[in-house]
Amino acid sequence: MLLLAVVLHTAVLPQLRIFGVAADVLLLLAIAAGVAAGPERGAAVGFGCGLLADCFLQTPFGLSGLTFALVAYGVGTFQTGVLHSAWWIPALTAAVASAIGIVTYVGLGVVVGQEQLLSMRVVEVVGVVAVLHALLAPLAVRAMRWAIAADGVPGLLLR
Amino acid sequence: MVFLVLLSITLITLDFRGDGGGIIDGLRDGASDALAPVRNVADDVLSPVGDGLQGVTGYGSLEDENASLRDRIAELEGDVLESEAAAEELDEALELLGVDFIGDIPTVAARVVAAPVSNFEQTIELDRGRDDGIEVDMPVVSGAGLVGRVVQVSGSRAVVRLVTDPGSSVGIRFVTSNEVGVAEGEGADRELSVGFVEVGVELRRRELAVTSGLNDSVFPAGIPVGRVTSAETATGELQQDVSIRPAADLDHLRFVRVLLRTRSSASAAPSTTTSTTATTATTATTVAP
Repeated sequence: MLLLAVVLHTAVLPQLRIFGVAADVLLLLAIAAGVAAGPERGAAVGFGCGLLADCFLQTPFGLSGLTFALVAYGVGTFQTGVLHSAWWIPALTAAVASAIGIVTYVGLGVVVGQEQLLSMRVVEVVGVVAVLHALLAPLAVRAMRWAIAADGVPGLLLR
Repeated sequence: MVFLVLLSITLITLDFRGDGGGIIDGLRDGASDALAPVRNVADDVLSPVGDGLQGVTGYGSLEDENASLRDRIAELEGDVLESEAAAEELDEALELLGVDFIGDIPTVAARVVAAPVSNFEQTIELDRGRDDGIEVDMPVVSGAGLVGRVVQVSGSRAVVRLVTDPGSSVGIRFVTSNEVGVAEGEGADRELSVGFVEVGVELRRRELAVTSGLNDSVFPAGIPVGRVTSAETATGELQQDVSIRPAADLDHLRFVRVLLRTRSSASAAPSTTTSTTATTATTATTVAP
């Protein structure tokens, strides 16, 4: 599934932009992993998604890995405290977590010397990505739950 | 979680310092080459869809751009004589400085095959790489002017950072006033901002800016970068706020040329001057305002 996500992330979604912004499927998968698998395993999956994203970026390798791991851990922790999961909660979680994830990525990027990330562009990206991820969240969470599966084998992610 | 955080910080540090022993670069190169065929197909299949989406979401801006282009055509027709004079001045300047010129530099043509993966980077990917002689820091141009420079290269692919990327900076020279400055990217669909232009220097609107080639720049002198759109001075400031519109149409790039020139090769080669007024005039007159 991660391979499919990488193909979507690098080959498909960059061609489909709204106001110049594309969905970040690897970030969405990290969030979905937090929702579906809890904080610890979600962080591990998020870390892997982030490293895959870093393979195709010019920013320091590991920056996305760190960001996605933190976001997935936060989402997993939040979800653990939610007693009743309404249908709209994953979508709302994805939207908010995506916004936080992008801001965190920019913030950490500035800390490691990537000041060029900080611009008004952040506002555009946060707005569009949050909406796109809210729409795609139910599908992503369902796919992640299938991948992590009843026996909890993370290797299903590699299918 | 703590382990993941520490591992991330370690990877970031290794990549930043370049101490990864080439493993990280090898990983990036391998990932780029492995997905190259898939991205080629996706680009061919999905670019019409992407263009359609862009047309829907940017209809208003397309109308404005159409009207603006019509005005530009009318202005360009009247600028021919002015460009010829600027071309003569450029030739004289190049002869005086004895700098290299694009006409003498070997190039390789490449097709743009992928849009940027990130929402924060202004990059494109080419279907040529190290196997074709491309190396990091090589300049990339289109028929209209400077596109950017190579920042990452694998066996069959090269990633180019566009001049509009916030991490991009180019040394420039204004052709008419002969003033130098540094043009920096401000993001997608934004004009370049030019720094280090002193107050009192008179810059005309639509004045052509070309690469200066100074200070051992990766960019050879004389490549059109853009035209001045505004030059303002705030009270008490020591520099002008200058904006230039990129000469190359970065939103519709399909084919570019990579100049097979690096800093080391430029330093080793003897200075050559060319008097190619016709070529210069052609280059100058095709610059989009």
